[in-house]
Amino acid sequence: MNTWSELLEDLQKHIPSSVECEIKMMHSKSALTRFANSHIHQNVDEESADIFLTIHKDGKTISRSKNITAIKNSKDFVKEALDSLEKSPKDTTWAGLTGKTESYEGFQKKRESSPEERANLVRDFVDEGKEMNAAGYCSTYLNNFFIWNSNGLNSSDTSSSAFIDGIFRTNTSAGSSHRGAVNINNLDASETGKEAAKLAVDSQNPVDIDPGKYEVILGHEAVSTILVFLSVYGFNAKSKIDGMSPILLNQNQFDEKINLFDTPEDEESIGFKIDASGAKKYNLEIIKNGVPNTYFHTRRTSKELNMENTHHEFFGVDDYFGGIGTNLSLNKGNASEKDMISSVKKGIYINEFWYCRVLDPITQVVTGLNRNGSFLIENGKITKPIGRLRFTQSFITSLSQGNVISVGDTSRYADSEFGEGMLKVPKLHLKEFNFTGGVSG
Amino acid sequence: MFDLLNIAIDSAINSGARYSDARILVSKSRSIAAKNGEVENFNESEKIGLGIRALVGSSWGFYSTYNLSKESLISSGKKAFEIAKASAAVSGKETPFADVPVVKDEYTTPHEENPFKVSSTEQIDLLVNSTEQMKKFGSSRSSGRLDFWDTEKWFCSSQGHEIFQNIIESGGGISSLSVGDGETQIRSYPQSFGEYRTGGWEVVKSFEFENQTQRLAEESQRLLVAPQCPEGTMDLILEGSQLALQIHESVGHAIELDRILGWEAAYAGTSHLELDKLNKHKYGSELMNIVADATLPGALATFKYDDEGTPAQRVDIVKEGIWTGVLSGRDSAAIAGVKPGGMVRADGFARLPMVRMTNVGLLPGESSLEEIIESTDNGIYMETNRSWSIDDLRLNFQFGCEVGWVVKNGKIIDMVKNPTYTGITPEFWGNMDMLANEDEWVFWGTPNCGKGQPSQIGHTGHPASPARFKNTRIGVRG
Repeated sequence: MNTWSELLEDLQKHIPSSVECEIKMMHSKSALTRFANSHIHQNVDEESADIFLTIHKDGKTISRSKNITAIKNSKDFVKEALDSLEKSPKDTTWAGLTGKTESYEGFQKKRESSPEERANLVRDFVDEGKEMNAAGYCSTYLNNFFIWNSNGLNSSDTSSSAFIDGIFRTNTSAGSSHRGAVNINNLDASETGKEAAKLAVDSQNPVDIDPGKYEVILGHEAVSTILVFLSVYGFNAKSKIDGMSPILLNQNQFDEKINLFDTPEDEESIGFKIDASGAKKYNLEIIKNGVPNTYFHTRRTSKELNMENTHHEFFGVDDYFGGIGTNLSLNKGNASEKDMISSVKKGIYINEFWYCRVLDPITQVVTGLNRNGSFLIENGKITKPIGRLRFTQSFITSLSQGNVISVGDTSRYADSEFGEGMLKVPKLHLKEFNFTGGVSG
Repeated sequence: MFDLLNIAIDSAINSGARYSDARILVSKSRSIAAKNGEVENFNESEKIGLGIRALVGSSWGFYSTYNLSKESLISSGKKAFEIAKASAAVSGKETPFADVPVVKDEYTTPHEENPFKVSSTEQIDLLVNSTEQMKKFGSSRSSGRLDFWDTEKWFCSSQGHEIFQNIIESGGGISSLSVGDGETQIRSYPQSFGEYRTGGWEVVKSFEFENQTQRLAEESQRLLVAPQCPEGTMDLILEGSQLALQIHESVGHAIELDRILGWEAAYAGTSHLELDKLNKHKYGSELMNIVADATLPGALATFKYDDEGTPAQRVDIVKEGIWTGVLSGRDSAAIAGVKPGGMVRADGFARLPMVRMTNVGLLPGESSLEEIIESTDNGIYMETNRSWSIDDLRLNFQFGCEVGWVVKNGKIIDMVKNPTYTGITPEFWGNMDMLANEDEWVFWGTPNCGKGQPSQIGHTGHPASPARFKNTRIGVRG
C-alpha cells in the first residue's frame, strides 16, 4: 500500500539508529447497516488510518499514536516522542522487538462491500418475519495492518469479515440469531432470519419459573459468552501475573469433553494471521480433553512468566491489556439439539446471555440474564417459553469435570459480550447452572 | 474549518439529502497507568477527521474520513447521501426532524490548568508515588490511572449552524487489590474505574490521592478476613458513587428515547417505559427527583451544544417520583412529540451521533449520611461499585460493591465482603426513604458507557448523594 510505504520511508529518516523503534499502521474500512422497527434507520461507513509509534532507549519506552491527518510532519512526530522519552520513567518489563525472521507478508487488495449489498441482506433477514418487529445490523470490515521495526521486521496482513445479526420481537417475546464469515457472500441472512423468527414465535407468552439450579442446554451465543469471559479474564497471561486468573495449567480443570483451540491459520478464521507485534500466529491447543495447556501471551507476559510467547498481542498502542485469543474454536461433539433436549427430565434451554459481569475473578463467578429465546424442558420435550431469570454462576464450574453432559454437533461463529468473530462454538448441554433470581428480583 | 464542513454539507444537499450536518474534530488524549510504583502504560494520541450525516427518507447515512482534502470532502458528502439512499431497500416512514435555533457560537470548558500543558512527569509521579505507597502499606497489586481528553469540535448544519466547542475532561483513580486464598478484594478511590469531570489538571489534584493510599491498602487486606455479607431482606444504604451507577443503569438508560422507540432493540435493548405513561408512571418514592442537566459546571457531561446543534439544557426526568421526561434528539423528539433535549452526542468524528445521557442526577434530600445510619436498625451500607448487571428493559438488576458495613441499631458494627443487592427498578426506587443533602452531593462521572452499533463509548455524569432503600434483597451469591 503506497500510503504505508511512503509514510514509513518518511518516518524512518528521523529515527536515530541508537533506539529500538516499532511503527505500525492500521488502515480500516468498516460499514454497518442498522435496522429497527423493520426498516433501516442508520447506515454508516468509515475509513480510518492510524499510526502507532513506539520507541525504546536506555530502559525507557514511549508510545504515541496519531491518525494520518494529525501527523503534520514526520520529523515533529518523531521528535515529540523522543522528547517525551527522556522524561519517561524506566520500563522494567520491556521485552524487546519481534525479530526479522518473523516477517510475514499477507497484505491483499480486497473489494469493499456496498451499502446495497448490506441492505439486500437486511431485507432477506426482515422478510423471514414480516408480521414481527425486526432489529439488527449487517456489518463489514476490511482491515490492513502494517508493521516495521528496527530489528528489520516488516510484516503486513489483510483481514475481512462480515456479520448479520438480528432479532424479531412480538408483544411478549423476542428471538435472535447471528452469523459471521470472512466474506459477505458467505452470509445466509435468510437462514439467520428464519432461526430468529422461530425463536420469537415459539417464545411468546412466557411463564415465570422459580429460580434454582437447573440442567441447561446453551445455544451458540450463550456458550460463546462463557468462553470469551474465560479467554479475556482467565487465559490472558496478564491476569495470571496480576493474581487474578482462575486457570490452572496442566490440571483436569474442565470436563474432558471440552477441547478449545485457537485457529488463526485456518482459512475460514476471521482476523489477522499475525499479532500486533508483527509475529505470525499459529494454531494452538488451549484446552485439550479438559486440561488447560497455555495462557495467551504477549512479549511482555512471556518474559515476565518465563513462558513461550503465543503471539496474542492485542491490536492497539501496546500490550497493556495482555494477550487475548481471537480465533477460538470449541470442538464439536456428536449430540444434536434433539438428542440434547430428549435427554433432559427438567431443564432450561437458553439461546443467549445478556449483561454478564464478573463478581469474583478467581472463581469466575459471573452474574447475568437470559434473553431472546428461553424455554422450559420437561420429560424430553420443550413445554413452554420462560421469562427472565438472573444467574449467578461460576463459569469455571459450569464447564468443570462431570458438568458437561454433551457437546453439540454443529458449530458456527457466535456473538459474545466482547464482540463478534472471535469464537466458533457448538451448543452445550450442562448438568447444572445456578439461577438466583426471576422477575421479582 | 467551517468552510471545509460546508463543502461536505453542500455536496450532501446537492446530491439530494433533505438535511445534513457535519463535524470536524481534533481529539487529543493522554492516558497513564501505573502498577506497584511503576508506569505500566503512557500513551498520547491525536486524531483529526470529519463525520458527516445525511437524512434521506427514513434513514440516516453517515460517512467519516481522516482525509480533509477538498475532493475528499465533496466525496464524503456524496457518500453520506448515497449510503442513506441505499437504505430505501428496507425503508420506513419518513423520519421527522425537529427545529432548533440556528446559532453561531463558541464555548470552551472552564478550566484552570489544561492537563496537556502540565508536565507528564508530574502526572506520572502522582501515580507512581500513590501506587508505591499502597504497595508499601501491604497491597498485593496497587494500580492507578489518569486520563485526559482535549476535544476541539467544529459543527455545521445545512440549516446554518456554526458552532465551535473545546471540551476538556480530566480524571482518574487509584485502587488496592489484595489477593488471598482463592479470592481477591479491592478498594478504589474516588470510585471504581476512576472519577472524571470536565475541567483541567485541578480536577485530579482535588482528589488528593496521597490521603487515601493507606486506607485503601488496609481496607482491601481487611476484606480478605472479613465475614461474607449476610443474606436477607433489609435496609440498604448506598454511598454516592454506587448510587450514581444505580441511576445510570436503572434510570439513565431507561429514559433514552431511542431505546423507548425501539431503535436500540437488537443490542442495548429497549425500556420498560412506554411513552403513553409519561407524566403518569410512578418511578419511585416522593424523594425521587431526577434531572438531566448538561449545564452543571464541572460535571462530566457538561457542554454548550450537543452534536446536533441543540443547546444544552436542564430537563426534569422524575418529579416527586413521577416520570416526566426523556433523553431525546431532534429526530426522536419529533417522533415522540417532545421538545428536543440536546442530548445527542458521538464518540469522536467517526461515529454517528446518538441519544446519550447528559448529567442525569438525583437531586439531594435533607438528611446526612450520619443521620441515615443513625436511623437504621438493621441494614448494610455499601460503598464503591464492583459489578453491575441489568436486563435489557432496565428492570431487573444486580450490583456488587467493594465493601459493605453492617449497620445495627444506628451504628456501623462490622465490615463485610462481597456485598451484593438485587431488585426491580420501580420497586427499588419506591423504597427510597432517606436521601442525603447538598453537602454530600457529588458530580460523579462515568467515562465508559457503551452503546450503539458500531460501539460507542460515552461520558456521562450522575450527581448523587447517599440514600437509603428499605426492604432490599441483599447478599445474593452463586
